[in-house]
Amino acid sequence: MSGTAGLALATRGLRKNYGSRHALDGLNLSVPMGVVYGFLGPNGAGKTTTMRVLTGLVHSDGGTVEVLGKPFKRGDRHRLFDVGALVESPTFYPYLSARANLRELAASGAHVPSKRIEELLDLVGLCDRANDKVQGYSMGMKQRLGIAAALLSDPKLLLLDEPANGLDPAGIVAMRDTLRALASQGKTVFISSHLLAEVQVMADVVGIVAAGKLVREGPLKELLSMQGVVKVRVRPNLVDSAIKSLQPLAAADRLIESDREEGWLAVHVSADRAEDVNQQLAGAGIFASGLESGTDLEMLFLELTGGQAVGGEGTFVGLGAPANGSATTGKETAA
Amino acid sequence: MRLFVSGLRKLVRRPASWVTLGMLVGLLALILIAVGGTANERVNATREAAAKSLITFPEAYDRILQFITGLGGLFAVIYGAAIAGSEWGWGTLKSAVARGESRVKYMLISYVSVAVMIGVGLLITFAVGVLAAIFAAHLANVSTSGLGDSATLGGLPERLLKGWFAVVEEGALGFTIATLARSQLAGIGVGIAFYFGESFATIVLPDIVKYLPFSVANAALATTSTSTGGGGIFAANTDVLSPDQALLLVGVWLIGALVVAAVFSDRAEITG
Repeated sequence: MSGTAGLALATRGLRKNYGSRHALDGLNLSVPMGVVYGFLGPNGAGKTTTMRVLTGLVHSDGGTVEVLGKPFKRGDRHRLFDVGALVESPTFYPYLSARANLRELAASGAHVPSKRIEELLDLVGLCDRANDKVQGYSMGMKQRLGIAAALLSDPKLLLLDEPANGLDPAGIVAMRDTLRALASQGKTVFISSHLLAEVQVMADVVGIVAAGKLVREGPLKELLSMQGVVKVRVRPNLVDSAIKSLQPLAAADRLIESDREEGWLAVHVSADRAEDVNQQLAGAGIFASGLESGTDLEMLFLELTGGQAVGGEGTFVGLGAPANGSATTGKETAA
Repeated sequence: MRLFVSGLRKLVRRPASWVTLGMLVGLLALILIAVGGTANERVNATREAAAKSLITFPEAYDRILQFITGLGGLFAVIYGAAIAGSEWGWGTLKSAVARGESRVKYMLISYVSVAVMIGVGLLITFAVGVLAAIFAAHLANVSTSGLGDSATLGGLPERLLKGWFAVVEEGALGFTIATLARSQLAGIGVGIAFYFGESFATIVLPDIVKYLPFSVANAALATTSTSTGGGGIFAANTDVLSPDQALLLVGVWLIGALVVAAVFSDRAEITG
């Protein structure tokens, strides 16, 4: 595979069909070594299918996969000995304890020293409940145990599907710290998630997928620097005048009207141009009652994915934009 | 070896193992003690003799073994289906595959563990059955002098081995059906339906049914030219194959079932 040197994970032209539906339609991922990679996409975009292909649970219909620099084909299951994975929900024998579940899981795949199980129970904070049957665990506890299971073989590449699911705030912070620590040790962490805020604070590199294709990939800082936004609130009856006055600042197709009723506008300019936006409005005799600036992964995500779910899984639309002016419906206006 | 030991540990800790064994042992002991307690109260001499044959040694050895392979076969179908179905339903197969484990190896070794558990269960049930038959014989004032019959005892290991082989084949059917269905409940339901369906089919298709898995399992242990057809003790009597032929077919069904389970597991897309 060309151009994959130094990558922990690479897919080229990866395809997977379920009947007539293209779950993956030529996916090209390039995950560098030693980073936390956020794999984002709306429901049905192909995130979980990608995870399944990468862990050998389903077989692709075309394309290639490289794991840790080596081809990963149908017969190459040993390649997964260096990979830890949590795909979809964590799965365990409900009648066994956490400790016993880890021990039995460790009997499959790569060899795991027995002391590793105790280390991991300690890491995920389950030592006190390690002898309790998993059937009595909360979702968050199962998720912690799932993360411990993914770490069993001390993997070089960690694939986690929605790892924050069910975790309480303290658990999320602890998980984030753990994953960052793993990346600092040179391990690669690949996180599939729809929690943009979580990915924004954790990932070094992101890939955004829609309709089974990669629509953007790159270092998070770089992507966000191109995604500055200034949100400004004016009187609802002045929205049209405000849009007109702001046209010189942003290209016409980059001015997004977020919520006409509330009067919020999102202007896609560099975040440090909030003052210019305010000045421009004031010059037109329009005074802002609210002004926010920043870089927004959510904006980027919605822009790239069209703010829509694909694959028929549906999404929430049309319930009204939140008061903070986030472009929930992502409606673009031509001034 | 790691997988096999792990498989055994999981089965030993699994409540279904002990519930299945407890039900089989309990039923067998209950029936034998009930027979012992009422054997002398029967007005019909033929029925009394038939009842007493269950608790009269050395014939009781064979009767107990036939009970185990009959009703035990049904329990083995359910047990095998429960083990395979849960691997899919609980998603534990998914976790092992994602760790790089071979699907075929994982499933086949899981069944080897089931086969070992079936063997242990068979021995325990047989031992309890013998003890219950001795107790029942005392209740019915039947002599237990045949207990040490050397000819019967000499052939007992071979009979137990054949019995285990037959029950393992029946368990493999449940295991395979649940693998194909990817579900415990579906596997158990279809397995039970298959078990009784085969016994009902003996009424209309005896020449075909005698080659089917439950019938050959029973025939492998038969001591007469007629025996129970599919569905074990619930089935109508039917002409059966010779024990050697039946044993061969038991092997064919066993291997066939496991090959189907292995191939399906290898090809299946693991989702959910």
